[in-house]
Amino acid sequence: MAHPYEELLSLDVAALAEKLRAKEISPVELTEAYLDRIARTDEKIRAYITVTGDLARKSARRAEREIVAGKWRGPFHGVPIALKDLCYTKGIRTTGGSKILADFKPEYDSTVWSRLSRAGAILLGKLNLHEFAYGISSSNPHWGIVRNPYALERIPGGSSGGSAAAIVARSAAAAIGTDTGGSIRIPAALCGCVGLKATWSRVSRYGVLPLAYTLDHVGPITRTVRDAALMLGVIAGHDRNDSTSSRERVPDYTANLDAGIGGMRIGVIRELNDGLSDDVRRSFDAALALLGSLGASVDEVSIPSLPLAGIVNGVITWAEAIEIHEEWMVTRAADYGTDVRRLLEAGMMVNAASYIRAQRSRPRILADALGALEGRDVLVAPASAIPAPRIGEGRILDSSGGTVDALTGILRFTSPFDVTGQPALAIPTGLSAERLPLAMQIIGRPFDEARVLQAGAAYERARGAMPPPPPL
Amino acid sequence: MPLLTPETVKRVLHDVYGYEITDDDAQRMANAAGAMLTNSRHLNSLGLAGIEPPFGYPSLIADAVRLSAKKS
Repeated sequence: MAHPYEELLSLDVAALAEKLRAKEISPVELTEAYLDRIARTDEKIRAYITVTGDLARKSARRAEREIVAGKWRGPFHGVPIALKDLCYTKGIRTTGGSKILADFKPEYDSTVWSRLSRAGAILLGKLNLHEFAYGISSSNPHWGIVRNPYALERIPGGSSGGSAAAIVARSAAAAIGTDTGGSIRIPAALCGCVGLKATWSRVSRYGVLPLAYTLDHVGPITRTVRDAALMLGVIAGHDRNDSTSSRERVPDYTANLDAGIGGMRIGVIRELNDGLSDDVRRSFDAALALLGSLGASVDEVSIPSLPLAGIVNGVITWAEAIEIHEEWMVTRAADYGTDVRRLLEAGMMVNAASYIRAQRSRPRILADALGALEGRDVLVAPASAIPAPRIGEGRILDSSGGTVDALTGILRFTSPFDVTGQPALAIPTGLSAERLPLAMQIIGRPFDEARVLQAGAAYERARGAMPPPPPL
Repeated sequence: MPLLTPETVKRVLHDVYGYEITDDDAQRMANAAGAMLTNSRHLNSLGLAGIEPPFGYPSLIADAVRLSAKKS
């Protein structure tokens, strides 16, 4: 027998917004449904570090009063969402997934949360992640191992593992993640939902615990492309508290979602079209065929410098992360998980020349990517070479039958677009033979999120609904 | 090409950071950091002449303005 709340939980943000505005459902009822879902499922998937039940109920009652009074704030008014626990929330602990910040309560809100809050969103809680965002498994030694809702013995990806797991487990209607080497797109890909890393500087990083200043991106993890577009519309835009945030105009990201891709020119990145597992190959090729059947022209492009982007991302992340963590490492190294501590120790050996050379390499790699985009609208590539590895699996089989490091095998697909700062959308393409989610990325020109989302929406419509995960 | 040895790693961490690590970790770090240093030299093959580090002055000014507004 279906749970009474099942129907409410099945609605995406766009559908919820319509029903909330029409007063067909109440934010109070909706919030209670989500809190109930968290209570019933989170012991198994550990998506949450902190659940803000009382605050959520209070916010929901306020939202209900406002909506009844006709004071509609927009599509997120009364919608229950959750934030990766890197995002500051005033007076609510923000742990970074760490022991070091276990009791830290910020004195101010992150801009991403203050914008969502002003838009009327309801905060369900703070989501689990790989410690300090420095990894891709989200197997957190301090706050619990996040599990993939499609297969509980598998990782959800990371570092925004809790965010993606909550979306797919339906314990949040939408979520915020961050991405430095792939941490929005990898969990979205491995969990079977949508993850958008917008252009670097599109979304303010103010009040978000950093991993690497010049590579960090903040963005939506959602059920659908439309929801990602709606969320980006709320959180994007210049912020005087983040001097790097762009003054580029924020368009209506939903305007062209129904426009289709007839005539769109799509380039398949050659350098990311090898080393794929059989399942990923099959699913990606099917996705390309579907794009072609929708009227897009699809051909192969090359970004010759792309293979070096991983080194660039690695050097910059190592150097910037240790600058952030140096004091804690010297005084509290034992309080880090072993994998994060080792990465930070490695960063202690980065020299200034290597760091500056890596930064100078970024315009060259972006120039190559823009060259590939000449005469094209967007680029595509798989989001990962493989479906979700098992928890604790360090090495994975590659297509030649050998093994590769799981981290490297996944990161090489995503990290280049943190280096170039281009918008990149991870979108599910289907399930593997073992019923694990598979995904591709759609990559655009800087600040051309609208076109990336347009392509994603068209593909998503044609693909149809993803098979859901097993009941939790 | 000089090698990064575990002894060098331990000495740098101790002298620069006041940080101690085990022999095993030092070996692991020497391998990883050595690879990083070697690989980062490969970035020269991209042809970096005439490319500036992307540190924008507008951002520097904006932060300075924000900080001086906080003071006053």
